Amino acid sequence: MASEIAFQATGIEKSFPGVKALKGVSLTLKTHSIHALLGENGAGKSTLIKIITGVHHPDAGRLILEGQEVHFASPREAIAHRVGVVHQERNLIPRFSVAENIHLEQLGASLLKPVDYANLNKQAARWLEALGLDIDPRTPVSRLSVAKMQLVEIAKALSLRSRVLLLDEPTASLTPSETDLLFSFLRKLRDSGASLLFVSHKLEEAQELCDSVTVLRDGSNACESRPMEGLGRQDIVRLMIGRAEGDGGWRKRDTPPGVPPAIELKNVETSLGHANVNLHVRKGEIVGLYGLVGAGRTELAKCILGQFPLTAGTVEIDGKPAKIRSVGEALHIHRVGYVSEDRKGEGLVLMHSVLGNAGITVWRPLSALLGFLTDRLVRHKVTPYIEKLEVKTPSLAQTVANLSGGNQQKISVAKWLAAGVKILLVDEPSVGIDIKTKAYLHDLLRELADNGTAILLITSDMPEMILLADRILVMNDYRLQGQLINDGSYAGMSEGIMNLIHRSEAA
Amino acid sequence: MSYPDLPAKGPSGDIVGKPRRNTAATRFYLTNEFGLIALIVLFALAFQFATDGFFSPFNLFSLGRIAAVNIMIGLAMMVVVITGGLNLAVGAIGVCAAMTCGYLIEVVGLPWPIAILSAVALGAMLGFINGWTSVRTGLHSFIITLATMSIFFGVMIFLTRAESYRALPPVFAAFGRMKLLGIFSPLLLVSLMAALFLGYLYNLTAVGREMLAAGAKPEAAEMSGINVGRIFIYCHMLSGALAACAALMLVARNGAAIPSMAGQLGQDWLLIAFLGPVLGGTLLTGGKASVLGTCLGAFLVTMLTSGLLLLQLGDFWIQSFLGLLLLAAVLMDKTRRTFLARRNMA
Repeated sequence: MASEIAFQATGIEKSFPGVKALKGVSLTLKTHSIHALLGENGAGKSTLIKIITGVHHPDAGRLILEGQEVHFASPREAIAHRVGVVHQERNLIPRFSVAENIHLEQLGASLLKPVDYANLNKQAARWLEALGLDIDPRTPVSRLSVAKMQLVEIAKALSLRSRVLLLDEPTASLTPSETDLLFSFLRKLRDSGASLLFVSHKLEEAQELCDSVTVLRDGSNACESRPMEGLGRQDIVRLMIGRAEGDGGWRKRDTPPGVPPAIELKNVETSLGHANVNLHVRKGEIVGLYGLVGAGRTELAKCILGQFPLTAGTVEIDGKPAKIRSVGEALHIHRVGYVSEDRKGEGLVLMHSVLGNAGITVWRPLSALLGFLTDRLVRHKVTPYIEKLEVKTPSLAQTVANLSGGNQQKISVAKWLAAGVKILLVDEPSVGIDIKTKAYLHDLLRELADNGTAILLITSDMPEMILLADRILVMNDYRLQGQLINDGSYAGMSEGIMNLIHRSEAA
Repeated sequence: MSYPDLPAKGPSGDIVGKPRRNTAATRFYLTNEFGLIALIVLFALAFQFATDGFFSPFNLFSLGRIAAVNIMIGLAMMVVVITGGLNLAVGAIGVCAAMTCGYLIEVVGLPWPIAILSAVALGAMLGFINGWTSVRTGLHSFIITLATMSIFFGVMIFLTRAESYRALPPVFAAFGRMKLLGIFSPLLLVSLMAALFLGYLYNLTAVGREMLAAGAKPEAAEMSGINVGRIFIYCHMLSGALAACAALMLVARNGAAIPSMAGQLGQDWLLIAFLGPVLGGTLLTGGKASVLGTCLGAFLVTMLTSGLLLLQLGDFWIQSFLGLLLLAAVLMDKTRRTFLARRNMA
């Protein structure tokens, strides 16, 4: 395989108001290669991708495509040069069909000429087949699952026959089998001569798939376009965060068996389709709820919080049956908190301040006669937690939308700590946050449990699950498949979990 | 709602507060409130030169009387706009409340304080109907209040046979004619009280904060333990009560409760109802309120109308002018916001 330089970026600089996002970053992509772009949140990965694809314009530096210097004035120009991208955010039009979405950039052949739908569907079917997707191209995108949408988005980038294809966290919402399928396809693409850039937070994936790597740290190159060979996980982590990863290993925690459950679900059935759910979490215990995307875990948490009705069974808090009809009741009567997986949609009010977000759960309990409540009082209550979590913000008045993902996540945890909940449901706590913050949150969850909080941990991140949980419950298709006592060994536990999931699929 | 900046915090340096005095000043000059004060001064001077007697005691008094009602109308809309909704029925609710007051005094013979309280309660009740229907159906309040505007107004016309109540106790008209210090109408005090109450609500109470959070992001507010549906209903009830107050102030000004006092279906109030909050910097998408801005905005509009009338411009010109003003205000606000975002100061 003759591998030559397909694309080069040298000395790229880019400033945004108040921040210098990129301080002279370089990157070289070769043909017949999959290149990993790694870095913590805010290291500048997305900015670099947006510059390469013409969304932003660099303040300094050069982009060289196959030996020619290029300036992309808009994403359309980048596409015309066959530089394709799959962005982190969804960019599909829900009511359009799969085929229409795939060919969105190529639809308008002429103003009045009718679109040739037969041809469109045929072309789309080819790309879908290549990706191993069994979807009718005429299906509206809104009817697809999130994972399928992601794959359609990839098909869309492929249909442009990109020579350089950038993939920004393409596996974030894919199941392991879908990921495998995607990877084998990307390898095929690589072998046919394409040059791919792969961004992911999952280091295991990057190591498995990529042959060379560029690491960014604080807007500069921590390493530039070096082969992946010879780099261990710890080496990469050291490049990313500038030091070795804290050991943060699993440790056995003993919960005396005599401790009564803080929350117990007995034969719970819900209107969403959960059946026969029995589980309990004792004071001071971390119970993991593992499952693939769509297994019904977040849905179960929302049913516990009264967002959807139970059709049978009971939820008991401290041994007493509890009827929870809203998050407000869960919080103020039963002291149950919920850290949402969807930070931007449900976790935070992005346009409000740090104080307005962290204090939202304590307004009611703090308010005096006639609801009287001063900022001072809220600040007094909330500041210790903001400091404890080391939230980096210029002030409590800062708008949350302006903070990094990791800091946002810290705030969405801090508000439940401030409320002093006894039972905490934590849903995907480390989605889209960097390694440092992730390790920090792990320590925090352990500390909370040590201090007596009952924690139900929902996560699709298997290492995280095995690191934190005392017991692991496995859910598939809205039913609990079984329980494993965590012994901290990755190989043994992950095999056990997969067996539980596949046992149900085989049955 | 604004929080004062915190000073630098602790040696750990977790909350790093750099003093940014110059940007704080810039930020103040870029607020809607400052812009409005500047415009008010500017236009006041312009009208002083261009017209006869803009600053005469008589004109100031009548300006204040009209401004008081307009401010109240603006506030009635603002309290719903912060939920990301709107209340097209402000005028209809107001007229219904005013006619109820007139009916209770003239036909039933209740003492006027009780009649006034009942009228405000009716306003809140009609607001409740708007809020409850909108929350329960999940439809945008635009379509709900568009419907209730016609319903409320139609029922009112049917019940009153479109006749006015003119035999009100003299205390109404006396209050409307009263002058404080020779130039101020006490109606302004009523609006001031309403504004102070709302300022208190949004800055110093739990429920006010919940209103803003629910308006900014209902899903996040709900998942943080706020009963969003109930909060939205409160906002609509507050809007109805404030609309009723505005109409009662109008009754005091006119000395009578007249079915057409807010135009057909109460639509004459709509432009002013939106101009106040929008000029004042209340976001139409919800989550941010400016009580002072709304008051200043409503005052500016009143002043422009009055000044242009003194310049003997036709009424239709003034309407067109106000429409242009609304459009300009929205565009200005967008520009200002982009600027702040660029400088990372929003």
